[in-house]
Amino acid sequence: MSTQTQQRRRRRGIRGFIHRLRHSRFLSNLAANRLAMIGLLIITLMVVIALYARIFIGGVGPIEGYYGEIMGSNLSGNAEMAKAQPSMKYPFGLDGQARSIFPRVLFGSWLALKWGTVTVAVSTVLGVSFGVIAAYYSDLVDNVVMRTMDVLLAFPSLLLALALVSILGTGLQNAVVALILVYTPRFARVVRGAALAVLEDEYIDATIAIGAKDFRVLARHVVPNCLAPVTVQSTLNFGLAIIDLAALSFLGFGAKEGAPSWGMMLSAGVENGLHSAWWWPFFPGLALALTVLGFNLLGDGMRDALDPRMRDAID
Amino acid sequence: MASKWFVVKRLLLLIPVLIGISTVVFAILHLGGNDPAAVMAGQGASQEQIETIRTELGFDDPIWVQYTRFLSDVSQFDFGESYVLKPGQPVWDSILVDKLPVTIELAIYGQLFGVLLGVPLGVLSAIKQNSLTDHITRIGALAGISVPIFWSGPLLIILFANILGMLPASSRIDTQYFIEGPWVFMGNELPLTGLMTIDTLLLGNIDAFFSAVEHLLLPAAVMGIYSMALISRMMRSSMLEVVRQDYIRTARAKGQGQKITMLKHGLKNAFIPVITVIGIQFGTMLGGAVLTETVFGFSGLGVILVNAIQAGDYPVVQAAVLVFAMLFTLVNLTVDITYSYLDPRIQQ
Amino acid sequence: MAESTWLKSRVRIVGGSLLAGVAIGVVGLLGGLLHYELQTVTTKLFAVGALVFGFGLLGWSGSVLLGRSIETVHRHLDRESDWTEASSRRAMARVAGFGGGIMGAVTVVGQAIESLI
Repeated sequence: MSTQTQQRRRRRGIRGFIHRLRHSRFLSNLAANRLAMIGLLIITLMVVIALYARIFIGGVGPIEGYYGEIMGSNLSGNAEMAKAQPSMKYPFGLDGQARSIFPRVLFGSWLALKWGTVTVAVSTVLGVSFGVIAAYYSDLVDNVVMRTMDVLLAFPSLLLALALVSILGTGLQNAVVALILVYTPRFARVVRGAALAVLEDEYIDATIAIGAKDFRVLARHVVPNCLAPVTVQSTLNFGLAIIDLAALSFLGFGAKEGAPSWGMMLSAGVENGLHSAWWWPFFPGLALALTVLGFNLLGDGMRDALDPRMRDAID
Repeated sequence: MASKWFVVKRLLLLIPVLIGISTVVFAILHLGGNDPAAVMAGQGASQEQIETIRTELGFDDPIWVQYTRFLSDVSQFDFGESYVLKPGQPVWDSILVDKLPVTIELAIYGQLFGVLLGVPLGVLSAIKQNSLTDHITRIGALAGISVPIFWSGPLLIILFANILGMLPASSRIDTQYFIEGPWVFMGNELPLTGLMTIDTLLLGNIDAFFSAVEHLLLPAAVMGIYSMALISRMMRSSMLEVVRQDYIRTARAKGQGQKITMLKHGLKNAFIPVITVIGIQFGTMLGGAVLTETVFGFSGLGVILVNAIQAGDYPVVQAAVLVFAMLFTLVNLTVDITYSYLDPRIQQ
Repeated sequence: MAESTWLKSRVRIVGGSLLAGVAIGVVGLLGGLLHYELQTVTTKLFAVGALVFGFGLLGWSGSVLLGRSIETVHRHLDRESDWTEASSRRAMARVAGFGGGIMGAVTVVGQAIESLI
């Protein structure tokens, strides 16, 4: 009896999570999903590119890069030459300021992944807190917190972000803050569902009965059990966050004019080069779409692996 | 059958929706850091000028006075005068009224694109569950969500307008066509709707109509992709559920071919829940309109909203947001009423 | 009879949060006055209340309007949801009551202080 309880206890918490992950069919399911693996490959590639760009192009690190060249205008003389088409020297061509688009797109992956990570990480933490609290202190708090989140969820993300930006003011940091607020409810909802399931477990009642503090119960027992659905949710929303951030920059509410972010490059490309220089909007957008597709493929595969029923909703 | 009382009750909901959204907009304007009087006075205005404007516009009054005044103005559809975009001009008459049909037309055709492609794809997916077709449809839907409008738009323009030269890349109609009201119906002169595809037909100009349709194809496709992805998923799930139900089994037992059975009995019932998705994702559609209009150079509500936020033209922001909310509400009212008409069981 | 229970249950739902809003409004107003001018405090606090009230009202009417659609969509695409129109409506009524309480408190107390000065 007591060894059994200990056995159960050993499998709770973070270690229990890893234990169950290794013994569940989640990883093997995921590895068998070819599309998910393609997604993972794309993401890995993008991370490598982002780190490369940060170190060798970003300049502000141990290795002097040519950050200046991708930032300011290099325009001198012929304006037509300034948007030369792709060649060996400039693989993605030049933009209207005579800057090579290739290193700018590479550096854009650093910006996208960096701010995407910030957005998703902060909203995950906030969402987990709200979700767990709502699930644990049920009734009134649960109801009001969760239904507020539900209403927020019903707003289209871009319009809600625009409304928040008009309170906070424009600029990349404010755009990120706005998106964090937009994305938090999505995590809160998933976490609450998972946490409610854990709390129904009689084991939790026993833990509370022997006098464990609320915080301890939540941190040691409830949160670790929500990690799997949260990871899926983070992956799925990572791509969406990158799109929304780029969209805000595209509309002029995010990155500064001339910054090497994909959204800003697309904006300049659409405005100035749509009919004369297809490569100008094409390559930043390609990088953006590919990255987002990577996250969506992986996230979708993870969801299937976690809960195969979801896939054939009915069968 | 939808009873009259049911419809009236739904229509009454417009009131709290509008009060709610105007109150939120009012709050946002007063929580934001910008001083509207300073925005209106423009750069380089002296402190006295700003103070004069502030007193004139009543920004000095206690906030509850401003709030009640604001609500009573809005309830009379008085959105005030523009600060920056067209200083001193009434927001509704001189800015929004001719932008509204642009966005409505885009949304209608985008939605049409989504339904016309999404429904058959979902049905196909359900009939051939777990086949190659099913998988391709699923991946297609995923790709549709992954590609942002502000890239798919330029891509289509580059391909169809620049390379193939088949479709126009911007504006709503060829410049040679002159669309001007009024149009005459049974001896009465009536104003035009502002929807190009309708107005050209009302005026009986078929060439102009085809030109308007050509101009709409690309933006509608770009806007409809997301909706198509969602509708096809919903249609698949709904179709699979309907198929499991008894009467289909009975029909099948009577010896009809499987696919014909599914189509005949399944479609109507499967379509009922799909209608609700159309209403809910209409909001995302409106968000997409902001980007689509920017890419295709349409001067609609979305572009105006973005310009007004950037310029700090609050009356315009507020009116545009209210109009968006009203559109969303009206579409969902229609969906709700259609739903109860199709599925009378649901009415209490 | 039926009328009165109908009313009672609604008053019970909104009443508590309304009172909480009033309390927060009064405390916030008096607290804010320690550091800022009356007009700044009333403007910002009233705006916060209006934000909450407007959001609640929007959520309430939205729940009624979209309730059936959302329930249907969740049934098909998101099986883990336990969203119901009724619970959403009640929660939003509470939120609106809370915001309305703040707005009311700021108006009444603000006016009182103004007339005193």
